[in-house]
Amino acid sequence: MKILSEFRSFFWLIVGIFMFNWFAMVVFPWLELGHLDPIQDENGTDILPWDTSGSAHAGERVYAADGCAYCHTQQVRPASSGADIIRGWGTARDADGKDVTRRTYPRDYIWQGQVFLGNSRNGADLSNVAARFTDAASLYRYLYNPYVLNPHSSMPAYRYMFVTQKISGQPSKDALQLPTPDAPPAGYEIVPTAQARSLVAYLLSLKKDYHLKPDEAGVPYVPPSATPNS
Amino acid sequence: MATLFPTNVAPRGFSSTDPELAAIDASVRWPVLACLLTAVHWMVVGTFLLVYASSLSHPQDTFPILGWFVDLSNNFSMFTYGRVWPAAVDALVYGWASTAGLGLAIWILARTSRSPAAAPGVLMTAVIFWNLGVAAGITGIFLGYSTGTELLEFPAFASWLLWISYALFALWAVATYLGRRPGRDHIAQAWILVALFAFPWLYGAGSILLGGRPLPGSGVIQELIDAWYVHGLYTLWLAPLGLGILYYLIPKISGLSIRFGSKTQIAFWTWILFAPWTAVHDLVGGPFPAETVTFGLIMSGLIFIPVVLIGMNLVSTAFKAEEQQGHHGGVVFPFLVLAAVLFVVAGISEQILSIRSANELLRFTMFRDCDTFLWVYGFFTFVAIGAIYYVVPRLLDFGWRSALLIKIHYYMSVYGILLVVAMLGFGGLMQGAVLENPDVQVTIVTADNVAISFHIAATMCISLIALGNGIFALHLGWMLIDWLRLRVRGNRLAAEILVEPFEPVPAKTSEEAAA
Repeated sequence: MKILSEFRSFFWLIVGIFMFNWFAMVVFPWLELGHLDPIQDENGTDILPWDTSGSAHAGERVYAADGCAYCHTQQVRPASSGADIIRGWGTARDADGKDVTRRTYPRDYIWQGQVFLGNSRNGADLSNVAARFTDAASLYRYLYNPYVLNPHSSMPAYRYMFVTQKISGQPSKDALQLPTPDAPPAGYEIVPTAQARSLVAYLLSLKKDYHLKPDEAGVPYVPPSATPNS
Repeated sequence: MATLFPTNVAPRGFSSTDPELAAIDASVRWPVLACLLTAVHWMVVGTFLLVYASSLSHPQDTFPILGWFVDLSNNFSMFTYGRVWPAAVDALVYGWASTAGLGLAIWILARTSRSPAAAPGVLMTAVIFWNLGVAAGITGIFLGYSTGTELLEFPAFASWLLWISYALFALWAVATYLGRRPGRDHIAQAWILVALFAFPWLYGAGSILLGGRPLPGSGVIQELIDAWYVHGLYTLWLAPLGLGILYYLIPKISGLSIRFGSKTQIAFWTWILFAPWTAVHDLVGGPFPAETVTFGLIMSGLIFIPVVLIGMNLVSTAFKAEEQQGHHGGVVFPFLVLAAVLFVVAGISEQILSIRSANELLRFTMFRDCDTFLWVYGFFTFVAIGAIYYVVPRLLDFGWRSALLIKIHYYMSVYGILLVVAMLGFGGLMQGAVLENPDVQVTIVTADNVAISFHIAATMCISLIALGNGIFALHLGWMLIDWLRLRVRGNRLAAEILVEPFEPVPAKTSEEAAA
């Protein structure tokens, strides 16, 4: 077998092929995208994308440890590639009440410690989940019992992120308001743990309600009334 | 059917009739057996965890037991889908496939080096550390220390154990190869050596760059490195190991030389040039440089060249053996033939994903799980199981206990994997058709409802595979117990029911064929 007759040349040829693959696939994009800075908006008043809070960064760990990324993506492909824009996954409402509909860019992810683009959509895309769930209470309720929104949902319930405790004095501010089958017995309340709080803070930070490029007006616009959210 | 699984009841020697090969087998007996036994253990753990994880992905009223499973996953963080699924996949990839692959690689390298191996103690140490690493990693995932990065979930302390162990394996392998006795080299050596070079490169870059704290400012590059790692692990680690074993065993068992043998080298080089580019299948449409993705799709689109050449080598040799001998040469051969065919099927699945429009349709569906199954379960597992049925009797000088159990295992695995691939492949197509539907009224709930029936079917098929693997593990245990009875207590009865599953039946003479 001639292939191995000269071990040294065999070895260096393999190293060369691996190097080519490594440089072309990883190092070259890294040089291009590894040092992105935030940009200023047109008035020079804001830095985009928005930075995320400390508890949102803590939530990244919960998102990683409990494997949310095995069913949920966090990337919106352009209208030319797939139907993500039509599904409404690229839509978020900005502070002026105007809808921003766009794909995601590498710059959107620069503040995240760990990036979860995901490879499976057994669940919805979460790039703009904070546009669909605007307050923590509704997210807590959803994590506690996802079957309320879709009785055949394949999403697990995350009851272990909540504790049932006896109400002493004032009821807790974050206590879950649950419909009857899930409601705690009288005198008790269900409250989120620190894990659930940081996860929800992270999810509420996922919103691309700003423009990164001036030419984004060209992206097809889907009216929000026709945009299915869930 | 009688000729497909010939049995030979008379007790006889099982180690190689060539005294030189028998001496080499004896020199690596314990490390290889340790690898294979612990690998089978992880395979059983992995497939049963996979059944549990898969059953969580459909409504809880599907099966009566499911309500209990769902309660477990809702109330205990250890049993939530997002922890069990990666634990199952990692148990199969690192615990089962990599351990079995390392054991078989040692065995083939020792044999092709033509001299008894030195320092088996180094290998035993390596096996122990490797298994400790896998166990620590899987425990870490269950306890919530997962990094959340696909196939690199093991926490840093587990990665260190795997590192130490792998360094021992690799040093032994390179030393054995360089110290080989002069003679013709085997193409299997090239495949195994390229796998042994690729793994430290992949696992080093992956676990250093992504395993601990993510690199600040790296952003989407993390996911790029992960895609490179995951597909590199399939195409440069598992695939070359499996192909090395096939290139060694198929000619050995059938007694034929590889057909189209002049194509083996070009197949080798084109595979390592094009196959790792399948990583861009996970990047299409994402926030990555367009030129990287386009170039990668061109390179991975050329994967048909090595797949066709390797298919010509292996599948046609296997089919020719079947044609000449009128059967598959015992029970080892059906597993290996199927592995060679599933390699081509996995190549076709990568070829489909390298077409941009097909990729857009299938990108986020269960088709990707189908692809994973084809590499890890379909291709590699069939190679390893076939090889275990062949190798273990030679190492122990002792036969399998029951041809029936092997037959049951074979058919459960075959129907299981073919149905899983069909269900996930077709299900991915249906799910993709809904997810990419241009009608704005269609939602993720519609796609979920389409996907659920395929998830249920896949769970049932994975259960079939798991049961088959359980039977395999019990059979292996039974064999070991009887071997101990013979060796330790001198119980001759244990030697009475030896099954010879791998002996090729001599080719029919022309008179017999005419009759």
